[in-house]
Amino acid sequence: MILPLFIKTLKQNWKLLLIFFAVLIMYMGVMISMYNPDDMAAMLAILEALPKELLTAMGFSDSITDITSYLGSWLYGLLMLAFPLVYCIILGNRLVAKMVDNKSLSFLLSTPNSRIKLVVTQGVYALLSIFVLFAVLFGIGVGLTASIYPGLLNVGAFLKINLITMLLNMFVMMICFFFSCLFNESKQALGLASGITIVSLLMNMLGNTSEDLNIIKSLSFYGLYDPVEIALGAEIWQLCLIYSALAVVLFISAVVIFNKKRLPI
Amino acid sequence: MIEVKNMTLTYSSGKGIFDVDFAIKDGEVTGYLGPNGAGKTTTIRGILGFMKPNQGSCSINGLDSIRDACEIQKTLGYISGEMAFFDDMNGDEFLQFMQKMRKEKNNARLKELLELFELDPRGKIKRFSKGMKQKLGIVSAFMHDPDIYVLDEPTSGLDPLMQNRFIELILKEKARGKTILMSSHVFEEVEKTCDTVIIIKDGRIVEKSDILTLKNSQRKGFSIKPSNLEDATKILQASGFDYSLKVGGIIQVFVTGENIDKFIKTSAKFNIDNFDVMKQSLEDIFMQYYGTKEDLS
Repeated sequence: MILPLFIKTLKQNWKLLLIFFAVLIMYMGVMISMYNPDDMAAMLAILEALPKELLTAMGFSDSITDITSYLGSWLYGLLMLAFPLVYCIILGNRLVAKMVDNKSLSFLLSTPNSRIKLVVTQGVYALLSIFVLFAVLFGIGVGLTASIYPGLLNVGAFLKINLITMLLNMFVMMICFFFSCLFNESKQALGLASGITIVSLLMNMLGNTSEDLNIIKSLSFYGLYDPVEIALGAEIWQLCLIYSALAVVLFISAVVIFNKKRLPI
Repeated sequence: MIEVKNMTLTYSSGKGIFDVDFAIKDGEVTGYLGPNGAGKTTTIRGILGFMKPNQGSCSINGLDSIRDACEIQKTLGYISGEMAFFDDMNGDEFLQFMQKMRKEKNNARLKELLELFELDPRGKIKRFSKGMKQKLGIVSAFMHDPDIYVLDEPTSGLDPLMQNRFIELILKEKARGKTILMSSHVFEEVEKTCDTVIIIKDGRIVEKSDILTLKNSQRKGFSIKPSNLEDATKILQASGFDYSLKVGGIIQVFVTGENIDKFIKTSAKFNIDNFDVMKQSLEDIFMQYYGTKEDLS
């Protein structure tokens, strides 16, 4: 970790994080305010005008009644995956590949700091920003539901949903970071990172639409858990471990590759 | 001491540098010259450790460019051939950032450099002119008072006044015993500052010598205005002299020492209106290495 570099990276990227904060907090507010603890049926009726497949693809489940599984399904089923994904793709490119592409990295390398330290600092910023994103969203979610529907939210289960979603997004962040370290051109780094992650997310959505397509879902790293089941008490530690391990492997490989590779700067 | 040992560094396109080998002694200023795409920046990438050579190695003060890249940077000042700064940074913010990254703060020297180049670093770098960006890069490479400089076209984008200021700066650093490798296209700046010159062409070193020897060893230039241009060129060609035609019916011929007699006798075969011995500048010497093989005189 190099503190001055971390501060510079923060200065250049906090606005990006803020935008995604604003969008996700807005959605969270809308979703929580739409919840009606007395009459889920009335709310579901509003959505009946839409095709059922569309709703399931979005991760909306109609079998839910409590607010924890409601948020798990309606918020963490797609929105908390899709928006952070865009953030990961943009940030991942900015942290490394963009600086190689425009050659500004040569200034960092003309200071007595090793490549490993430089790139680890960038990776730590990426992971920390995802952590802060979900920690704050979790806090706001708990705060909002407590003020509107006190006592209804299962905070423990909601924490678990946030934890696994955070780890999943850290894994996605590391995919983008890995390609950013691998390629010397933004175009290639962005292309492969967004290609792999967006296809995975689409596979997850497609797999949700019907039982027959479930196999597609289980092939995607997005489709390995169901937030509604977690809300109802499913255990997640195994999957947490898998996502964490994958993220760590990608992080280490990215650092090793970046340390060895030729930089045309 | 900068050492490049039998370095071959090729790209996937097959271009690159081949078996480049030279050493720059402590306190020596060396000019690194060559046409565009000859391999100057590639050599510098090897020296800085940005790219691992296919073969051979580079070292600075005995430290390996790849293995000890971090250690080397403590005593190195580097100017990149292509100035690309970070987005949305102010000039003064950038200089402070570089000081912090180096954990070295010499504000007296920084102030001196800013005054020398008349640079006000405030404001967004993005809005800076090319010359201002170049000055900012120069200041950043010199402000920590390193012992060794690797400078890739350091004066590109600077106006003639500032180019002179830069020459002053280099001469001052030279007097303080610094070791400098400088790639350049500005012959004047090389002529004024460098002790030795290395010329690279098509990825291979074609000349390596100190400036004085280079000047002395060179061929004499003659400028003749013949009465009949056609006759004269025919006769010269028949005797195997390479010549170039200049405006106003003037022929320029470069001749090595042992051929002067033959040249005088050959030119006696046609009528001459005017005859001049040219004072050959270093630029003329370098120019021989710049063109393609066919136009080498």
